[in-house]
Formats: sequence, C-alpha cells, structure tokens
Amino acid sequence: MDKDEIHQRVVKVVCDVLNVDPGMVEMESNFIFDLGAESTQSVQLVAAFEEEFGIEMDNESALGVQTVGGAVDFIAQCVK
Amino acid sequence: MIEEQSARSAGEQSQATDPLDRIFYPRSIAVLGVTATAGTVPNDIFLNILTSSYQGVLYPVAPGKRSIGAVRAYRYVSDVEGDVDLAVIVFPASVVDKALEQCGRKGVSGAIIISAGFREVGPEGVRREQRLKDICKEYGIALIGPNCLGVINTDPKVLLNASFARKMPARGRIAFLSQSGALCTAVLDYARGKQIGFSKFVSFGNKAGVTEIELLDYLHRDPQTDVILLYLEELRDGRALIEAARRITRGERAKPILAIKSGRTPQGAYAAASHTGSLASEDAVCDAVFREAGIVRVASIEELFNTGILLAYQPMPRGDRLAIVTNAGGPGVMATDAAVSVGLKMAQFAPETTVQLKASLPAAANIKNPVDVIGDARADRYLCALQAVLGDGGVDQVLVILTPQSMTDIEEIARAICRIHHQTAKPIACSFMGASDVMVGVDVLQAAHIPHYILPEWACRAMADVQRIRRWREAAGDCVTEFPADKAAVEAVMRDAGEGYLQEDEALAVLEAYGLPVPRHKLCRSADEAAQFARSIGFPIALRVVSPDIIHKYDVKGVALNLTSAHAVHEAYAEMMRHIGRVMPDAHLVGVMTRAMIPAGHEVILGAKRDAVFGPVLMFGLGGLFVEILKDVTFALAPMGPVTADRMIREVKAYRLLEGARGMAAADLASIRECLCRLSQLVTDLDRIMELDINPLIVGPAGRGSGVADVRIRLGPSL
Repeated sequence: MDKDEIHQRVVKVVCDVLNVDPGMVEMESNFIFDLGAESTQSVQLVAAFEEEFGIEMDNESALGVQTVGGAVDFIAQCVK
Repeated sequence: MIEEQSARSAGEQSQATDPLDRIFYPRSIAVLGVTATAGTVPNDIFLNILTSSYQGVLYPVAPGKRSIGAVRAYRYVSDVEGDVDLAVIVFPASVVDKALEQCGRKGVSGAIIISAGFREVGPEGVRREQRLKDICKEYGIALIGPNCLGVINTDPKVLLNASFARKMPARGRIAFLSQSGALCTAVLDYARGKQIGFSKFVSFGNKAGVTEIELLDYLHRDPQTDVILLYLEELRDGRALIEAARRITRGERAKPILAIKSGRTPQGAYAAASHTGSLASEDAVCDAVFREAGIVRVASIEELFNTGILLAYQPMPRGDRLAIVTNAGGPGVMATDAAVSVGLKMAQFAPETTVQLKASLPAAANIKNPVDVIGDARADRYLCALQAVLGDGGVDQVLVILTPQSMTDIEEIARAICRIHHQTAKPIACSFMGASDVMVGVDVLQAAHIPHYILPEWACRAMADVQRIRRWREAAGDCVTEFPADKAAVEAVMRDAGEGYLQEDEALAVLEAYGLPVPRHKLCRSADEAAQFARSIGFPIALRVVSPDIIHKYDVKGVALNLTSAHAVHEAYAEMMRHIGRVMPDAHLVGVMTRAMIPAGHEVILGAKRDAVFGPVLMFGLGGLFVEILKDVTFALAPMGPVTADRMIREVKAYRLLEGARGMAAADLASIRECLCRLSQLVTDLDRIMELDINPLIVGPAGRGSGVADVRIRLGPSL
C-alpha cells in the first residue's frame, strides 16, 4: 500500500470521526488545533485507523501523533 | 442561531488604562478550544461566560464546529472579525502554544490559560511553559495561568465568570487570589453558604506570566476591593512579595492582606542542632517576614474568612477593648478567656454605662463585662445592653453571644443587632451558638453582613487578627542605619576564602570590620607567643584552637578558658597541642586564637542565613537551653533597623530574663539592638555569607556592652 492510498483513507477516516469537511484536512492539519478533535475523539481515531487498515497500533505512541501527515507516516510503518 | 453574544462594551466604562484591565475588564473575549461536549471544562468555561451576563462580546473558537451554545463558532481566533481583548485558552497542553501564538499575531493582549500539563508535570511541561513565556514576551501578552481555574469579576460593568466554577459568586468587597484551582471551587461554595461576596476571584496556577505580586498591586488599585485573601503554595520571589505587601498594607489606601501559605515544614525539619540553618526553616522564616510585611498569616480557610468578613464588613476598631453581651454565663466566661488569651482587653465600663445597664437589666443580670442579660432575655433587653456598651467611650468593639433558650426570640434579636449596627461606628461580631434553631437568626445577620461565628472563640481570634492589622498600620516604619565598615579588611579575607567555613581569625576580622564587639585577640602559633600576647592585653584569657579540620573544638579539648597568668596560658597551649596531636594526629593546626575573656553576662545567639526565597534573614534568641531545647528564636529580614531589632528582642519568650527577672541585672538591650543592626548590614553587603552564627554574644548589664564569644561563618562559592 503506497502513501497516497494511505493518505486518502486517513482523510476519509478523519472526516468520518471528526465530522469535518475533506477540504479542511491537510497534511499539516493538527487533529486538535485545526480539526477540533476532543480527547475522546482522539481515541476513536486510533481505533478507526486500526480497523480501516487492519493493524494494531501502540496506543500511547499513536495518541502522540498530532497531525494528519504524522498519522500517514505512522500507519505506513505499521502496514509494512 | 445568535450571531454573537453582543452587549454594551464593558471596557468603555472601565477606561482600560490599567495593564491588567484587559484581563479583568475585557471588551471582548475569545475562548479557544471550546468543545461541544457538555460537562467538559472547555464547554463549561464558554457557557459560564455566556450565562454570567458578561457585558462584552464573546467568540467561541472551536475548529470543525459551526456553533457552540447557539453562538457562531470560529475555526481560528484569526478568523474573528473584531478585536479580541482577552483569550481564554482551554485547548489541551500540546497545542496551547499554537493557540497563544495565533492570539499574539491577532493582537490579543490578555490571556488566561486554563489547561494543565505544564511545569507541574515534569521536564516536558517545563519546556512547554517556557515556550508560553517566550510567546508572551514576544507579543506583550499578560497571561494568567496556565493550570488554573480562571478569573471572576463581579463588577456589574463586566460580570465576568471566565472559570469553571459552577456559579458566579455574589458581589462583595473581598478579593481572593489562589494558586490552587481546586481550592477555589471549595472556597466559592463555602462563601456562598455564608453569603460572602467577592470583588475579584483569581486562580493564578503556575503564574507563568502575571504573578501574585502584580495581582496584589492590581487589587490595591482596584476600587471594588477592600480586603485581599491569598492562598499560596510556592513563593518564588519572597522579597518582591514583601515589598508589595508593605506598599499595600500601610499608607493612605491601606488594604489588609490575609494569607495562607501552605506546605508548612514538618516538625522533623526542626533539627536538634542550635544553629541558624536548622532553626530558620522555610516556615519559621515565612511567619516572620509575613508579619513584617503586614500580611496576616492564617492557618485555615475558616480563619481566612472569619477575619476577612470582619475586615470587609465592619469598621476598623480604634483600640483593643472588647465588650461582650451574652445571655449565658458560661459562654461569656469562655469568650472572656479566649479574648484575653489572644491579646484583646476586656473593656472597663464607665460609671454611667453601669448605671444605664443597671436601670435596664433585671437584678440578676451581670452589669460588668461580660454583660450577662440572662437566659430569658428577648430582643429589647439585648438592644438596651448593646446601646449602653456601644455608647461607652472605653469600648472599641462588641461581641454578642446568644444561646437558644426556649424564650429567646432569635430572629428578633438578630434584627435588633442589625438595627443597632447601622447606628454605630464600632465593629460588632456575633456568635449565635448552635447549628439548628439559631440558623434563623444567623441568616438575618449574614444577609446584613454582620460577621457571625459558630463559636465565640473564633470571633475573638478574628478580632485579634484585626488588632494585628490595626497595630501594624499605626506602628512606626523602620529606618535602616548605615554604620561605617572597613570594606578593605573584609575584602582581604574574602578574596582568598573558598566555599565553606571561615577560620575563626577570619570570621572575627569580618565582624570587627563591621564594628561588632570582638574582644582583643591574636592568632598565635606558639605557646610563647600566646603567653606574651596574653601579658600585653591582661587576664583572664581564653584559648581556642584554629584548624580547618576541627569544627567542634570542645570535643578535642581545643578550648581553655579563664587562664589568669602567662604561665597558665603557656601550659594550656602546650597541653592542647599534645592532646589534639594524640586524638587527631592528621589535623592541620593553624594555631591558637588567644583572646581576652568576656565578663559573664546574658548569653544570646545572633544568627543570619541566606534564605532561598527571602534572601538574608536574621535570627535572635537566648543561648543555651532556650535555643537548643525550646527553639525560642525570632526572625527578621535584612536589611532592618532598630525598630525591627527591638521587636526581635522583645518577641522571644525569655525576654523578661533580659529585662532582669528574679534579681538578675537587666541586659544591655541597646547593645544587642546595635549588634543586630550591624549584623544586618554585614549580611546584606556580603552576599557570599550563607550562614553566620554568633553563639554566644555575651551581654553585660545595661550600659556595659557585649562581646562576641564565638562565631562561625559559612561562605558560598566565590563568584
């Protein structure tokens, strides 16, 4: 799976969980500051990524990821 | 949807000239990081501002949300069309810097950061907090927090509840500043229960920006505030706090400051050793310097408000004479005991007062102080007694005690007290004893802002605190005296001295340079030299070994006293060398300090310590058991003058011994006072001195001076 595909799927998950328009979601977007993720939604995002990509992520590390681009890189490492 | 919560501009009326008005009187507020989830801090803060009838304009900044509480939301603060005076930031700590920086670029000049996760959580938090400080400095933002409850201003011009406290408190004349956010909510609830209102209420958390000192100065200027209550956990700049407090608590617009400084050092910290370092614990020093700054330090929230309401709602009494009016003899006696034990005086009634009381009270009543109107007293009898005692020129304040007996018309008595309260310029406090029946009267009193205390003892304690404030205001200020000092002699000692204890000859040279009474002395390096020097200055003579390896001279027989001939000096010197050579063969012996003996007298200890928070602090006490067992010592900040020195001397419990108790001659108090002032100058000038002990200073009878018998000075590293 290449990074473009991961990116597209990450954006879709982010829009679904955070209920934001795709136009708001950029690689540099911070989940909290730019997209308004609340603490419970951050946990939901991790769970949704795991389901979307069929992977298991270390929760503490995953919750430390702050941006969409960071999430793409993190997931790319997990799906290798 | 409401476009904006819009109202008349609060700041237009406040003429925002004070730098902190942007926080307390903002014309517009943006709350950054608002969430839609009810019951969360970010959501509650926004709703609290919205529902507190805030008089300005409110903007929720909530990325991804269209509106919060039917108010249009913004993605970024930079998207807000109008100006923003104050940003309230509730984002998680990881993005607070981004939010604050955006505020800076927008031109927001005041911020409250509620979020936790900064200095209080460790090194990563410290870095985050430093970033906030840098942003505030770059953009000139006045910051409250982070890690705080927020700010409340009950002034009708603004009506601001920018906090996550449940309810807006009532308006009042008391300001409350707290380092603990959680305590604030408890205090607000407590105050509501007692119908106590606030002018300003500030939780300042980690104080990364605006400090408690700036807030104290602001409240001093605030016309809405009469009394300042402060809860502190950690002091970073004790000197600045003391200077601010002295400005605030005295002078034309004096306002009392009552403070709780928590983190009282455990008893274990009072080590058995009798030197200043161990005696001058942070807590003991704090007690002393707060007192010198006019801050009344109290032990509990209860006492904080007990005294606070008396100061806020009652006039300052002209003196310390108390009259008690009670319907029960026992509580009257207990209250009298309590009053006297805290330093209040029981008023002696004028003959006409006694006549008036006799005419209006039953024969069984006690017409002396405490006035007992007896158990069947109703409102009219209380009223007569109160009119009589309040009209007496020898009464400065009145305590009314009530016990609920079957014929006691509690509510009527409370109303009578309210009526007479309006007709007098003297403070009245009440204690309606009980917790159920009396509440009907307590409610009446509290609604009328007449201080009420469950126990008369609490009322007495509060009145005593007020007396401390009154005396502080009336006391003369101190004036620091500048003595001539031989700076070159001190420099000669300090230049080569490393970190640690000075040699005795060096320490004596430092004291001598500042004019402290050091007896004639010489560091001798042979028995012959010591005997010859002794002959030249006369007898008796004291010998003390000088060695960097020997701290406790007595333990190695390194001290010989009362030597009355050159032969005795010679022998003692030789024996001292022989003994130390046996028990400490590796000790480097510099020589023996040979000096004139000081005539017997009162032994006192003078000490100094460089406190991490307050800087140089002086200590005074009587020597021997008084300091070792009883820890009977007092402290004061250096520099200080004779007024403070006198206070220190008089404050030790053993002071009467110095005055000449039980046939002993009175000590030369003037000499002690001068020594303290000279020592104050010495430790103020020489900032390498970490600790200094003159123990003992032997004080002769009045007019005969004193002499330094022993001294130890510990230096910090050279700069």
